[in-house]
Amino acid sequence: MTERAALRWVSRPGAVREDRRFVTGHGRYVADITPPGTLHVGLVTSPHAHARITGIDAEAALALDGVVAVLTGEELAKETDPLRQYLDLPDVHWRPLAVDVARYAGEWVAAVVATSRAVAEDGAELVSVDYDPLPVVLDPEAALRPGAPTVHTGHGTNVLAHREFSWGDVAGDVARADGTTQVRVRWNRNSTVPIETFGVVADWDEHRQLLDVWASIQMPQFPDQLASALRIPGNQVRVHFDVDVGGSYGVKRGIKHGVLAGYLARQLHAPVKLIEDRAENMHGGDFHGPDRIFDIALSYTADGVFTSIRIDVVDDEGAYPGRSPLQLAKPIGAIVGPYRVPSAVYHATAVTTNKTGQVAVRGFGQAPTNYAIESAVDAVARELGMDRFEIRRRNFVAPDEFPYRIPSGTEYDSGDYPAVLDKAVTLADLPALERRRDELRGAGKLAGIGVATCLEPGGGNAIFENIMNPANDKTTFPEACRLRVDGSGAVVAVVSISSAGQSHDTMVATLLGEELGRDPATVTVLRADSLSGMPSQSPVGSRMTIVLGEAIRAAATDLKDRLLRVGAHNLGVPVADVDYVDGDVVVRADSERRLRWGEIVAIAHRKQHLMPDGVEPGLEVVHVAHTPRSGGLTAPDGTVQLYPCFSFETHLVLASIDPDTGVVDLDRYYLAHDCGTVVNPEVVRGMVYGGTAHGIGVALYEQFAYDDAGQPLTQSFMDYLLPSTHEIPDIADDEHCTPSPFTTFGQKGAGEAGYMGAPAAVASAVNDALAASGVAPVMSLPMKPSDVWAAINRTTEGNS
Amino acid sequence: MKPIDFDLHRPETLDEALDLLAEHGDDGKVLAGGQSLLPLLNFRLARPAHLVDVGRVASLAVLRRTATGVTVGAMVRQASAEQSPAVASHCPLLAAALPNIAHPPIRNRGTLGGSLAHGDPAAELPSVATALDAVFVAASIRGRREIPAAEFFRTHLVTALEPDELLTEIRFPATDSGTGAAFAEVGRRRGDFALVGVAAQVTVADGRVTDARVCLSGVADTPSRPKDVEDMLRGTAADDDVVRDAANAVRETVEPVGDLHATADYRRHVAGVLLARALREAYETAERSEDGHDLRIA
Ligand SMILES: Cc1cc2nc3c(=O)[nH]c(=O)nc-3n(C[C@H](O)[C@H](O)[C@H](O)COP(=O)(O)OP(=O)(O)OC[C@H]3O[C@@H](n4cnc5c(N)ncnc54)[C@H](O)[C@@H]3O)c2cc1C
Repeated sequence: MTERAALRWVSRPGAVREDRRFVTGHGRYVADITPPGTLHVGLVTSPHAHARITGIDAEAALALDGVVAVLTGEELAKETDPLRQYLDLPDVHWRPLAVDVARYAGEWVAAVVATSRAVAEDGAELVSVDYDPLPVVLDPEAALRPGAPTVHTGHGTNVLAHREFSWGDVAGDVARADGTTQVRVRWNRNSTVPIETFGVVADWDEHRQLLDVWASIQMPQFPDQLASALRIPGNQVRVHFDVDVGGSYGVKRGIKHGVLAGYLARQLHAPVKLIEDRAENMHGGDFHGPDRIFDIALSYTADGVFTSIRIDVVDDEGAYPGRSPLQLAKPIGAIVGPYRVPSAVYHATAVTTNKTGQVAVRGFGQAPTNYAIESAVDAVARELGMDRFEIRRRNFVAPDEFPYRIPSGTEYDSGDYPAVLDKAVTLADLPALERRRDELRGAGKLAGIGVATCLEPGGGNAIFENIMNPANDKTTFPEACRLRVDGSGAVVAVVSISSAGQSHDTMVATLLGEELGRDPATVTVLRADSLSGMPSQSPVGSRMTIVLGEAIRAAATDLKDRLLRVGAHNLGVPVADVDYVDGDVVVRADSERRLRWGEIVAIAHRKQHLMPDGVEPGLEVVHVAHTPRSGGLTAPDGTVQLYPCFSFETHLVLASIDPDTGVVDLDRYYLAHDCGTVVNPEVVRGMVYGGTAHGIGVALYEQFAYDDAGQPLTQSFMDYLLPSTHEIPDIADDEHCTPSPFTTFGQKGAGEAGYMGAPAAVASAVNDALAASGVAPVMSLPMKPSDVWAAINRTTEGNS
Repeated sequence: MKPIDFDLHRPETLDEALDLLAEHGDDGKVLAGGQSLLPLLNFRLARPAHLVDVGRVASLAVLRRTATGVTVGAMVRQASAEQSPAVASHCPLLAAALPNIAHPPIRNRGTLGGSLAHGDPAAELPSVATALDAVFVAASIRGRREIPAAEFFRTHLVTALEPDELLTEIRFPATDSGTGAAFAEVGRRRGDFALVGVAAQVTVADGRVTDARVCLSGVADTPSRPKDVEDMLRGTAADDDVVRDAANAVRETVEPVGDLHATADYRRHVAGVLLARALREAYETAERSEDGHDLRIA
C-alpha cells in the first residue's frame, strides 16, 4: 500500500471525466447504434402465469407488410443450447423463448422480426398462441409445501437449492445466552430499475464469420455464454464494450436477449436490434431482485452481548434461476455484520415460482441480509430496553481486532466501526436530532430515529458459485489493464469492460496517473472489445477499484521497469542505481543525470541501436490481476474467504409519521461512510447518495407485485414507484478512512454504498416511531402508508 | 410500446375540428395535452385510427371571467389555470386542486378539458367540477349542449360525451363572499394520482355554514359527492364534533376498493381524515375571507 500523504491525485477533488458527456446528452447507448438495414424484434409474451403452449399460428403476422420472420421457442431450441445455470439443474431449461410451457406471465413465447419496431409489435399482436392454463404457484413458502404445483415438472420439486451451514459452537453459545430474540422479516421483490431497459444489436458477417454485438451489459462471461448457447466458437463473437450502459447495478445481464438477437442475425443475415420496452422489461426481462423471507434468531447475554445468530432464508427466484441463487451465498462473507458473534447458523433455500426470473442486484443479496440482521439487533435492543447505539457499540468488532475472522471463515480486512458511528452521531448532532424528534412528537406526529451500521463487502470473487454448488470449482475472477505509451509519449489505458455510470474512466486515469506520476488528465482511457481485449469479469461485486487497481499497479510497474532498463542502459549505470521519477529515469546518486520521458519513448519506439538486450520494443504492457485473497475453495467445514475488503457505513435518519394517514416523511438523513482510500470524492459521494436513494425506494416505495393468478400488478412506472427528488431528503454525509491492507492505495468497494444500510435505517426509524407509541413494528418492505396505518390502527383498536 | 398506425389531423378552427370528429369520431380520438392519451396509445389500450389534435384551435384555449364565474376553454393548460388570477380569486377550489396534479412539466401540457374528458375518478379536476356543479359545454356538428357535472361522469374513464362531440369549455360558478376552499389528498409519492382526495368548499355567514360542497376522488367509479354530509354541515359552525361526525358519515358511505398501493380499509379511513382536514382548512379560510375580503366579482 502506498502512503496516503504522498498522493497527488488520488483522494483529491478532481473532475469526473464522464460527467460532461452525459450531462450534455452525448452518451452513446445501444439504442443509438443502428447499422444500415437493421431489423427490429417485437415479442409475443405469455398472458398466463403458467400454461402449456399447444399451438402457435404465425400466418397472419407473416402476411403483414414489413414482417420478415417469426421465430418460436421450439425452432430456436433446435439450434441453440439452453442458457447457463449455475446450479446443477439438468431438468430446468432456461431459454430465450418458452418451449412447450410458459412459466410466468410476460415470458417470451415468440419473436417477430420486422422492418421497424412498430411493425414488429403489429406482427406480435397477430401471432395467435393456444394455451392450456396450468396451476400456478406464487408464494415461495407455499411452493415448498408438498403437493404444490411444480414450476419445472422434470425437476420434481420447487426447491432449486438448499444449503445448511453451521459455524462455531452454536449449541454452547445459545446455551450460555440469557435470551434469544426471533424476528421474521420480509424483503419483497424489487430491483434496480434503470431508465434504460436492456438492449442489444447483433450483426453477423458471413464472410468474416464474425458476430458483432453491442449490448447494454454488465455481465461476466457474456461473450462466452453467447457463443456457447449459439454453438459457435468464442472467437466468432465480438462484444463491444465502448457502449454506455444506462444504469444497471447488476441487472443488465441480457443473455437471453443476446442469444435471441444473435441467432436471428445469423439466420437473417441482417443486423437485428432488440430494445426492451418498459413492459417487456418489467414483466419478462428476468431482472427482478431478491424476494426473501428471513427468520432470524439472535442470542445474547443479559448485558446485550451477542453470542450466536441463526438466519433461515427463503428466496423466491421466480421461474428461471440463472445466477440469482448464488446471491444466497455472498452474505456468508458478512453473516454477522460488523458484530462480534462467535457462532452462526445459515440455512438458505432457493425456490422457484411462476414469476419472472431474478438476477443479480446491487450487493448480490447483502442488502436484504443487512436489513434482516439490523432488524434483529433493533429487536434485541427493544427486548432488553437497551439503547440501539449502545448495543451496537458493545458488539462491534473493535478497531484493534483486524484482520478479524468471522465464524464463517471470512476475514474482515480493516475497519473502525465505533469511529464511523461517532462521525454520524456528531454529524447529526444526536441530541439536537432527539430534540427535533420530540418537537415532532409534540406536534402530533409519530417520530423516530433510525440507525443502521452495515458492511459492504467489496472486491467480488466468484467463490459463491462453489458455495452454492460444490461441484463447481471456479475460483478465478480476474481483471486486466493494458497500457500503451505511443511514439509521441502519450499514454493510453485499455480496459475490457463496459460501464453503467460508475465513472471507471476517471478511476483508471486517476490511479494510473498516480502510479506513473503523470497528470491523469493526459491519460486516454479506452474500451477494448471481447476479442481484442483481455480477461475481465465486468464491474460486479464492488470490485473494479480494487481488482483493476491491482492490474493497473502491476502494469504500471512493468512499464516503469522497462523504462528503467532503457534509461539505465543509456545512462551507463546499473538498473539498481536509477529511480523512476514522474516519467524520467534519474541516477540516484546524481539527480542531474537523467533521461527524460520523451527520450526514453523515442528509444523504445525508434532506436533499436540504443535498446538494451532483452527489452521489447514499443511500450506496451498488459497485466491480468487476480482478485485479492481469492484462490481458495470452500473448506470441508463450510468456512470460506469471500470478498477481501469491507467498507462500512452508518445511517442515521429521523422519520416523521402522520398517525392518521401512515405517511412517512424522512425529516433528516445523515450518513458516515468508510470505503478506505477514496479515489475520487465526487464519485464516491455520487455512489453513496444514489445507493441511499435506492435503499429509501426499497424501504418505502418499490415493489414488483403479483395478483393471485400471477398477473403482474406493477404494469409501469405508475405502479413501480421509484422515489423522486421529492421523496429523497437532503443527505448530509461524512467520510472516514480505514485503508485496506490488501489494495494498492488502501481503497475498498463503494459501488453498493448507501444501499447497504438505507433500507435497514429507514425501517429502524419507522419502527422506533411506532414503538414509542406502543405499536408493533412493521417487519416487511416496502412499508406503505396503509401498512403503517394498519399497524397503528391495530394497536388503537386493541387499546380501546 | 408503439401505438398502432393512425392518421393525425390538426384542424385550425373549431368547425374543422367538429367536421373531423363527425367523420372519424367512432374511430377517432381528440388529442389535447396527450398526458393521458399518449400512454394509452403506447400501451395500445386506446387504438384510434384517427387523432384529432385540437391544439391549434385558438378559441379553445381561452380562460375568461364572466358575470357568473370563470369559463375555462377545454385547451387551457393546467399550468395556465394554476397561474390565473381569475381562478385564484373566483374559483379557489380549482386553484387549490391544480397544484396537486402530477408535476409541473405535465401540467404545462395537460389541459383542463383533457383531464375532465378523460374522466379518471382518482383525478382532482373531475372532483372539483362535481363539487362546484360546473357546467360542461359540448359541441358537435349536430349543435351545442350543456351538461351538468352531476351527469357528466358515467363510470371509470367514461363520460357523457358522444364520440363526435368535443368538450369546448367548462363553466365554474364564482364563489360568494365568505367562501373558503381546500383540497386534501394522500398519494404514495408527490405527484402521483391520489389514493384518496377530498375537495371541500364552504361558505360561511356569521360563523355558520351556509353552503358546503364536498367531493371525494379515488373511492368510487366516479367522483363521489356525499350530499348527506353537505347537509350535515349546513347551519353549523363546523366545530370539532360536526367535522368528526361528517368524517364518520363519509367513512360509512364510501365503498372504495383495495389495490397494490392501499387497502380498501385504509382508503375508507383516510377519506374521513382528509375530509376533516379539508373542511377545517376550508372553514378557516372562509372565516378569514368573511372578516374582510370580499371575493365576489366586482
Ligand atoms: C406522470 C403523470 C402523472 C399524472 N398525475 C396526475 C394526477 O396526479 N392527477 C391528475 O388529475 N392527472 C394526472 N395526470 C394526467 C394529466 O393530468 C393529464 O394531463 C390529463 O389527465 C389529460 O389531459 P390532456 O390534456 O393531457 O389530455 P389527453 O391525454 O390529450 O386526452 C385525454 C383524454 O381526453 C380526451 N379529450 C381531451 N380533450 C378533449 C376534448 N376537448 N373533448 C373531448 N375529448 C377530449 C382524449 O380523447 C383522451 O381520451 C398525470 C399524467 C402523467 C403523465
